[in-house]
Amino acid sequence: MNVSKLLVAGVAFSMSAGAFAAGAHGGGHGASSGEPGKASEVARTITVEMYDNYYEPEEITVKPGETVRFVVENKGSLVHEFNIGTPAMHESHQKEMMMMVEHGVIQGGKLNHDMMNMDMGNGHSMKHDDPNSVLLEPGQSKEVVWKFSDKGNIEFACNVPGHYQSGMYGDVNFE
Amino acid sequence: MQGLVKASQPNSNEVQLGIKQMKIRLLTGLLTLLMPAMVMAGEYGLTVDRVKIDTGDFVKEGIGYNGASPGPVMRFKEGENVKINVTNNLDEMTSIHWHGLILPFDQDGVPGISFPGIKPGETFTYEFPIQQAGTYWFHSHSGFQEPDGAYGAIVIEPEGREPFRYDREYVVQLTDKHPHSGDRIMRNLKMMPDYYNREQQTVGEFFSDVSENGLMNTVRDRMAWGDMRMMKADVEDLQGFTGLINGKGPDQNWTGIFEPGERIRLRFINSSAMTYFDIRIPGLDMTVVQADGNNVQPVSVDEFRIGVAETYDVIVRPKDEQAYTIFAESMGRSGYARATLAPEEGMEAAVPKLREAARLTMADMGGMPGMDHGSMAGMDHGNMDMGSSEGVSGMDHSNMGSMDHSNMKGMDHSNMKGMDHSDMSGMDHGSMVMGKEGPSDPFYAKGSGLVPTAANGGKFLSYADLKAQDPLYEDREPTREIELRLTGNMERYTWSINGVKYEDADPIRLKYGERVRFKFVNETMMTHPMHLHGMWSILDVGAGQWNPIKHTVSVNPGTTVYMETEVDEPGQWAFHCHLSYHAAAGMFRKVIVEGGPESTQAKTEVIAEDGGEV
Repeated sequence: MNVSKLLVAGVAFSMSAGAFAAGAHGGGHGASSGEPGKASEVARTITVEMYDNYYEPEEITVKPGETVRFVVENKGSLVHEFNIGTPAMHESHQKEMMMMVEHGVIQGGKLNHDMMNMDMGNGHSMKHDDPNSVLLEPGQSKEVVWKFSDKGNIEFACNVPGHYQSGMYGDVNFE
Repeated sequence: MQGLVKASQPNSNEVQLGIKQMKIRLLTGLLTLLMPAMVMAGEYGLTVDRVKIDTGDFVKEGIGYNGASPGPVMRFKEGENVKINVTNNLDEMTSIHWHGLILPFDQDGVPGISFPGIKPGETFTYEFPIQQAGTYWFHSHSGFQEPDGAYGAIVIEPEGREPFRYDREYVVQLTDKHPHSGDRIMRNLKMMPDYYNREQQTVGEFFSDVSENGLMNTVRDRMAWGDMRMMKADVEDLQGFTGLINGKGPDQNWTGIFEPGERIRLRFINSSAMTYFDIRIPGLDMTVVQADGNNVQPVSVDEFRIGVAETYDVIVRPKDEQAYTIFAESMGRSGYARATLAPEEGMEAAVPKLREAARLTMADMGGMPGMDHGSMAGMDHGNMDMGSSEGVSGMDHSNMGSMDHSNMKGMDHSNMKGMDHSDMSGMDHGSMVMGKEGPSDPFYAKGSGLVPTAANGGKFLSYADLKAQDPLYEDREPTREIELRLTGNMERYTWSINGVKYEDADPIRLKYGERVRFKFVNETMMTHPMHLHGMWSILDVGAGQWNPIKHTVSVNPGTTVYMETEVDEPGQWAFHCHLSYHAAAGMFRKVIVEGGPESTQAKTEVIAEDGGEV
């Protein structure tokens, strides 16, 4: 594993962490999903494969406070997301993802990267760079380093329209 | 499920075969040895019976399977070889067609095309491999036995996992049960095509249109409709039915139980004779995951329209401890079916009122020959103010009375060509619900009165939303195009393809291995669910390799729809409109696939003449 890459990723995480906390809107209400993890604290690596439209595995077990490196691989032929959050967070993120589809950012098996960087006004873009998630084209693989906090109703989910609703989610169980 | 016999254990012959092989080919490996025993062979039994059908509104005699209508849910497993013994307890011929299943043509169950039919008192054994998964259905293909109740559901479990998850599932099978028998309905329609059309415009409506739109506009509108042999309200030509879900009328309220938070897969099947339904479950999003048995990329909707013979599988997730109504309004709003999802039996939710009936517009007859589309499109909507009172007072009413409608019977196209389009441009489009801000859907004529909208203002499923989850065929250029004009004369209740009804038509000949592009041009004012037996219909939604595959393709009035077929099954097949009385009136073709594997040819000659009705 390339450490410098992870460090860069870590900086990116911190930059958007504020926006993430605002979007999650759950930190103060006892429904947090955790926080971006530090590479140095990674206790273990879990590989999650994404297919059309389901994960393997469909559930994982973690300890409260544990930092996990997720290696996420898209083995399907459609765009998929791996996103750690509460059901409520996923639900609000699904609206954003719907917008991405409507604007042609997500087109079946392709991501329109130019569109993702486009300024949507008010400083918004559709970059999809929150630290709790990755959005992958078929064949792509990326990592998410995540520190789980306390116990809670946490799922990893694909919020590409229709995917979560039809069952593309996995349960995070706490030991 | 009562009476459904299932023997899913491998039969003893195969086990013995496995043992013999073990002695002979001891070294070929354990896997090979186990193969014969691993092939599942299910044996099933169906009896075709006279049954009583109680809709809650009326009780009638009908036809069913294993003593009930609808018949049982047949549950198969992909990869299984099924053997289905069908015993005819009627005093007339019967047949069963396995709608949407890919199978040898002589097992397809169409009398006169696949086989001679099943005689009274006889048992016919169907045998075929299950090569697909999903939700399908079966029904009689003899006379009007299907509208009389001879239908049931098929659920096929896939070999691998489903690409979605759910905690429980229900079949939700709809029909439009009519108090009259199919034979009687056909007789009445032939005698008087508007016999069952209660939504006809009245004299009173004529005068209210006159006051709103001006007399000239109203008269022109009515004259144009008269030319079409259609009445403006002909969204449904069979009204007066009770909508059933799994055999239960609205008051009998079929109920599916759930635990809050569960995902439920609902397998909707429209087994109606004639009725399209608009389906919603107020309070729940529905995620469509399958259409006509084939998985589609999931799309969440508030409402969807299910054509006759189509199936849609949706996943819903009721989170609250409350009842939800499954509400299925007929497309023409003349009736509805209703069922309930509830945490316990007996709970109900509010049943919505029927919305106002859709009215066809001039756009819906845009497909009629002789109509100049170009000039219609170019119409100036800004100049719609024709309904001035001077126009009314200046009209000579006595002349109107002398209008000779009988002359129009011959439907003279040349006269229609002569229609003065400049006059049409003055027509008040407001009166025709041709609103420019109206809803649109690429599978409906522009300005069509039939474009559906969700009751809650949300998302209504369009064919354009359907994308294959995992395309079955590689995309390739079609080898040729075949145009099929969907034609009819409402005045005589004749329905046809390219103006020729089934009895007078030559079969459509396809070559094994080719990919044919079918162009449906709907020149009638009615929606036709076109069903090709035996081979998939790849519906062109403009998604290329992701175009969905279906077994039934709905073609709306005034539209042209394309589908492609990989001609990969030899033999001869039925191809028809699935509206029972349209098929019977002649909107039907035999398709002959020439060539293909040797063993499957020539058997077509064996099919006897008897039972030739379809």
